[in-house]
Amino acid sequence: MSASIEITDVTKRYGELTVLDDISLSIRAGEFVVILGPSGCGKSTLLRMIAGLEDVTKGSISVGERRVDTLPPGQRGVAMVFQSYALYPHMTVAQNMSFGLENIGLPKAEIQRRVLQAAATLEIAHLLGRKPAKLSGGQRQRVAIGRAIVKEPKAFLFDEPLSNLDAALRGRTRLELAQLHTRLGSTMIFVTHDQVEAMTLADRIVILHNRRIEQIGTPMEIYQRPASRFVAGFVGSPAMNFFPVESATSNGEMLTIQTGGLGSVGAVIRPPSRFSLSGASLGIRAEDVTVLPAGQPGIPLKAEVVERLGDRTLIYGHLTDGTKLTVEADGRSEARSGDMVQIALDTSAIHLFDAAGAAHHGEGG
Amino acid sequence: MSADRSTYRPENMTANRTPLTIAAVLSVAMMAPVAWLLGLSIKDNMELKLGTDSVFELPYTLVNYLNILHSSQVFGWFFNSLVVATGQTFGVLVLSSLAGYAFARLEFPFRRTIFVIVLFGLAVPEQAVIIARHQMFNWAGLHNSYVGLILPDLSSALGVFLMTQFFKAIPREIDEAALLDNASPLRIFWKVLLPLTLPAQATLGIFTFLRAWNDYWWPLISATKKEMFTLTIGIASSQINFAQTEGLGFLSAQAVFASLPVLIVYLIFQRHIVTAVSGGAVK
Repeated sequence: MSASIEITDVTKRYGELTVLDDISLSIRAGEFVVILGPSGCGKSTLLRMIAGLEDVTKGSISVGERRVDTLPPGQRGVAMVFQSYALYPHMTVAQNMSFGLENIGLPKAEIQRRVLQAAATLEIAHLLGRKPAKLSGGQRQRVAIGRAIVKEPKAFLFDEPLSNLDAALRGRTRLELAQLHTRLGSTMIFVTHDQVEAMTLADRIVILHNRRIEQIGTPMEIYQRPASRFVAGFVGSPAMNFFPVESATSNGEMLTIQTGGLGSVGAVIRPPSRFSLSGASLGIRAEDVTVLPAGQPGIPLKAEVVERLGDRTLIYGHLTDGTKLTVEADGRSEARSGDMVQIALDTSAIHLFDAAGAAHHGEGG
Repeated sequence: MSADRSTYRPENMTANRTPLTIAAVLSVAMMAPVAWLLGLSIKDNMELKLGTDSVFELPYTLVNYLNILHSSQVFGWFFNSLVVATGQTFGVLVLSSLAGYAFARLEFPFRRTIFVIVLFGLAVPEQAVIIARHQMFNWAGLHNSYVGLILPDLSSALGVFLMTQFFKAIPREIDEAALLDNASPLRIFWKVLLPLTLPAQATLGIFTFLRAWNDYWWPLISATKKEMFTLTIGIASSQINFAQTEGLGFLSAQAVFASLPVLIVYLIFQRHIVTAVSGGAVK
């Protein structure tokens, strides 16, 4: 029953304000796509346009073979799970789940079959007689998903459905959503600003920024080969370290980059021929910086704050010229605040960004 | 130990004694006329003619209440009041709900302006329009009819305001979920949103009913025939003179009888009334 979704040249304007500009996106049937971006980037608006809750100013949206952007929400073949769940407070769980099916005139026996089946899948059969006020946050969330499942939609739309859950429940529900996707094989579009949700759930991530799609790729593509400085800084925790490029020389294959705090860094990057150094920056992730054993020479870093996370230790410090740098060290690292440690960079994981923010990657990056 | 004495304790009864005393005095002041009325209603008219002090002395009698059953027109007036109050309550609930939904959810030209004009209705006293209304109803031949008694107060500015605010407070995501559930706008209103406004409907319904039941001014003007009197007008018409030296017990019994529905409504819906009056003071 799952269908592909085709978004073609979609623009959304509110009066003079352009919220989304010329968005095109092809989602394969059965794919789990996560739309990721900072608050206000238009990701929920895009989802609501697919659902039919917002008009499309320009462009078209198709679900399967059918163009849907001119159809009312109920006839688009999609089901949506809202951030607040939007359950009907005066109806029981069973009534919440069957309301949509009654509206399309399904026979009672079929409605009951679907509700019971979805309830069994989501392990909420014992809650069918309760009203939403008597449910926990996690249970409400399951009911909201159940309400979507019973409709057997061509695509599921999730608008930040985990953001109202506590951390432990969020992790568990994330896993259950992934399992649900595997079981149903449905097309799912999931909007979030949480990169962990995006990385763990998505077949592909769509990064939205400044009204446009910044990058589309698998989670590892996005993480390892970010298309722009924005993506590099937005995805990954801690955020990527950036250093302004002062000068660079190339011998054809190896680029030697000079930055203030790091000094001379050799990177196997082939920037385009018209690459301008003005405004360019070098980026490296915290896990690609190593703390060297005591006595081994490297780049000196003054540790300011040390965060021990158990499996790893994050060292926030600054280089000799004051440039800030975050290093991800082993969980058993003995570094303390105020220590001077020696670090080394994995030069194969260096990223170079031009003034416009476009990325050029090292071989390992 | 002195520190203990000054320690604040929320359940300290001594600290609550003053407000309790004030509340008790006020309650007695409020209840005294009601108790007086009840006392008068169970005394013989002839005894009361000699002096109302006999209220505090035996014997008491239910003869005034029996007289209501046998000879009074109170039942007719009671029925009229019931029709008018119920009709007005139902009408106000329907119209205010529809108008509130429209102002809160629908997009139409001059929505805000019309809403402000409706709110102006709160500021116009009934007395200011009474002559024009009287003439209109006279021209339409609506005086001395149920329609004439019900119609003027159906357009409740307070009701529209209350319902608009209540509909606005319902998250739009509920409507949107229903839209995705393929529900028509009418079905969303009827099956999804309207049931959620029940607390507001209860509040508005109770206040409308009580106001309509106790209304004196318009029925006095519109209902000139005795058979169309409402209770308030009927009982007032039973009063012989200002001092009411005759039939005082019977009159009091009629007043008690007239108050019963209000009392019953209050007892059934007191939780909603308290909520409505405290109006969100406590979350």
